[in-house]
Amino acid sequence: MESSFAMTTLIFLGAAIIMVPLVRKLGLSSVVGYILGGIIIGPFVLKLTGNEADNIMHATEFGVVMLLFLVGLELEPKKFWGMRKKIVGLGLAQIVLTTVLLFAIFRFLDWRADQAITIALCFSLSSTAIVLQTLQEKNIFNTVAGEASFSTLLMQDIAVIPILAVLPIIANYKPKEETAGTLFLQRFPEWVQSFSVIFGVVILIILGRYVFVPFLRYVSKSGMNELLTASSLFLVLGVSELMTLVGLSPALGAFIAGVMLANSEFRHELESHIDPFKGLLLAVFFVSVGSTINFNVIMQNPAFIFGTATVILLVKFIVLFSIGKFHKMSNDQNFLYAFALSQVGEFAFVLLNYSSNLYLVEPVFHSQMLAVVAITMFATPFLLILNERFIAPNFNIKLSEDKENESLTQDIDQRKIIIVGFGHFGSTVGRLLRANKIKPTILDHDSNRVRILRSYGFKVYYGDARRLQMLKTAGAENADILVLCLDKPEDNLYISELARENFPNLKMFVRSKNRNDAFTFINNGIDNIYRETLGTAVNMAVDILQSTGMRKYAARRMAKRFTLIDKEVTRKLAKSKISDDFTFTTKDALERESELLAMDNLNFDDSKFQEKEEEDLNN
Amino acid sequence: MKNTLVLFAHPYLEYSRSNREIIKFYGKYEHLDFRDLYEEYHDFHIAAFRERKRLPNYERIIFHFPLIWFGMPPLLKLWIDEVFDKHWQQKNERNPLEQVDAVILITAEGDESCYSKNGKFHFTIEELLSGLLVCLEVNNIKLKQIKCIYNADRISKKEIIIHKQDFKKILEQ
Repeated sequence: MESSFAMTTLIFLGAAIIMVPLVRKLGLSSVVGYILGGIIIGPFVLKLTGNEADNIMHATEFGVVMLLFLVGLELEPKKFWGMRKKIVGLGLAQIVLTTVLLFAIFRFLDWRADQAITIALCFSLSSTAIVLQTLQEKNIFNTVAGEASFSTLLMQDIAVIPILAVLPIIANYKPKEETAGTLFLQRFPEWVQSFSVIFGVVILIILGRYVFVPFLRYVSKSGMNELLTASSLFLVLGVSELMTLVGLSPALGAFIAGVMLANSEFRHELESHIDPFKGLLLAVFFVSVGSTINFNVIMQNPAFIFGTATVILLVKFIVLFSIGKFHKMSNDQNFLYAFALSQVGEFAFVLLNYSSNLYLVEPVFHSQMLAVVAITMFATPFLLILNERFIAPNFNIKLSEDKENESLTQDIDQRKIIIVGFGHFGSTVGRLLRANKIKPTILDHDSNRVRILRSYGFKVYYGDARRLQMLKTAGAENADILVLCLDKPEDNLYISELARENFPNLKMFVRSKNRNDAFTFINNGIDNIYRETLGTAVNMAVDILQSTGMRKYAARRMAKRFTLIDKEVTRKLAKSKISDDFTFTTKDALERESELLAMDNLNFDDSKFQEKEEEDLNN
Repeated sequence: MKNTLVLFAHPYLEYSRSNREIIKFYGKYEHLDFRDLYEEYHDFHIAAFRERKRLPNYERIIFHFPLIWFGMPPLLKLWIDEVFDKHWQQKNERNPLEQVDAVILITAEGDESCYSKNGKFHFTIEELLSGLLVCLEVNNIKLKQIKCIYNADRISKKEIIIHKQDFKKILEQ
């Protein structure tokens, strides 16, 4: 039993390892890769998974708990408290409206009343795992849409408890039904049930304040790393077990525990310990979702399955979008929010199994619904791409184009510079330009940032600069300089190639992460490359040298020389990298580098004056 | 015309009408190697070895700078500090600057009369530049002429043109 569990896990991981890089290469979310991998190894293609798939899915649902714990760690209590209105306002409205609408539709389609309400309840929830994973990948946690999604998901997590409590009551409506069995919630008196949420949260807050941190301090005193890993796991597992005991969702418990620890000194320690486990479990979880899609069931009645999936996606989208509108979200953020949460969540698997045990749904119907859930999950990444490529751009460009034309008429002779990416790096560049009265055109894909910048008078476009049309709209045809400051080197590279092909006269300044990126850019014929790891690291080294007793001016001179040599060496290595003896050249170059550094021209030792070194420096 | 190195140092060129006008002059001659130090060494990190290696190519050096607080701009001073080598004066060393001609072209605020013992500033231009002059002498550089353009912040374009013609004559000697 155990070995087969391990074997299946192994197969699952293998599928993930093969599929995810492939899918990422196509520019899709890793979730698609996992699910595809699951489908391929599943019982309908390769038949590699046995009966264990279901078990594994339940075991790895724990990844979601860890994910929420990590999210909690990022959120300080104050900020969390500030979100309370959103959590209730967005979340509750979403659940109630979706359930009512779905119920109405199902009834209209002549489903049995109890089934209709059960499915409506199950499907009103969205997938924490998929949404949070996507938010993390896209790095949009701090946008309006990100926060809204997050608040809604939190409320849904809370809602699982009452739904679990309500299902048996619904089941009792059926006259043939026997008793629903022993449910953990029913063991408590009713007044406890209704207060369980508050009760659990209070316990956690007390624990977080007075127990967790002293406990971790005690453990860390031992100085053993593996003990800290163990206690991190112990904490998360313990909290989720505790929550289950009280009748709360373990995910919610883990989240609150995370929030309580967000201010403690162990925050990063915990993060680094839990993160690998979370990644592993989530990966296997997504793969198992893929592997449980029952294609036989889909084949028997494809119209019904896909029809239901479409209706559900549509209803959820409409509900979310109207709620977003009601809360005055801007259109692009609202689209993102509505698309991101339109799938059915992993809690539906739990709830469906549970209601199947209650004889609320028949086995065939049960697996049909499971397929619907999996399909909606699988659709999410594609919907988000659809949004990113076709819908979101329409909303911002139109607005900015008008403004652009306005400002163009005001200062036509202004030398035009386009900055792509206005995060910490790009904004520093832009601020210095602006301080010198040069107003660049800025492209960024964070619509909130765009709005703020616009209010400061920057010419900002919202949009994905990887699209040629976007660059053209920003005025790349008439501009002189293109500054690429995106976070991802591959995006910078892609845009630089695009620009080289279409706007050959455009001068390019490119941000690169490290040497390896710089190699690629150099070999692509870009001259102005700015390695973000070079300048700051050198400055740091200068200060360190000073604190060891070196005169700061001497250290600064050395640093200047070092920078020059390093840039030159990088240039040379980039060229030799094409040839085979790369490792040899690197070693060679590093030796030469220290040799050159030893020969500062302030070195008054006569024998060390050599002329050839400057040749190496300056072409 | 002699192969000439122009060492031009001006930290605030964008505010100097007269110097912007004068440096146009250098572009017209083939044998002039015009070096704008504040552009080339904006980070004050001078490639001394490269500079030394180039020196033997020249028969004449023009030091062109504005008088700033009665002295030469710091980057030009730094250039000399880093490039000139005291070892050149040792017996067995060859000094690449030996027998090279030098011309100093400076722009200054105020009348010529201010730069005299009884004038406003009490010191002559030669006195103010004494460090540079000794430097040239020690290296056996022959100083041909010091040309000073006074009231550089006020003179008209016509006057600048006359100065340029004058300077041209000096160079063609």
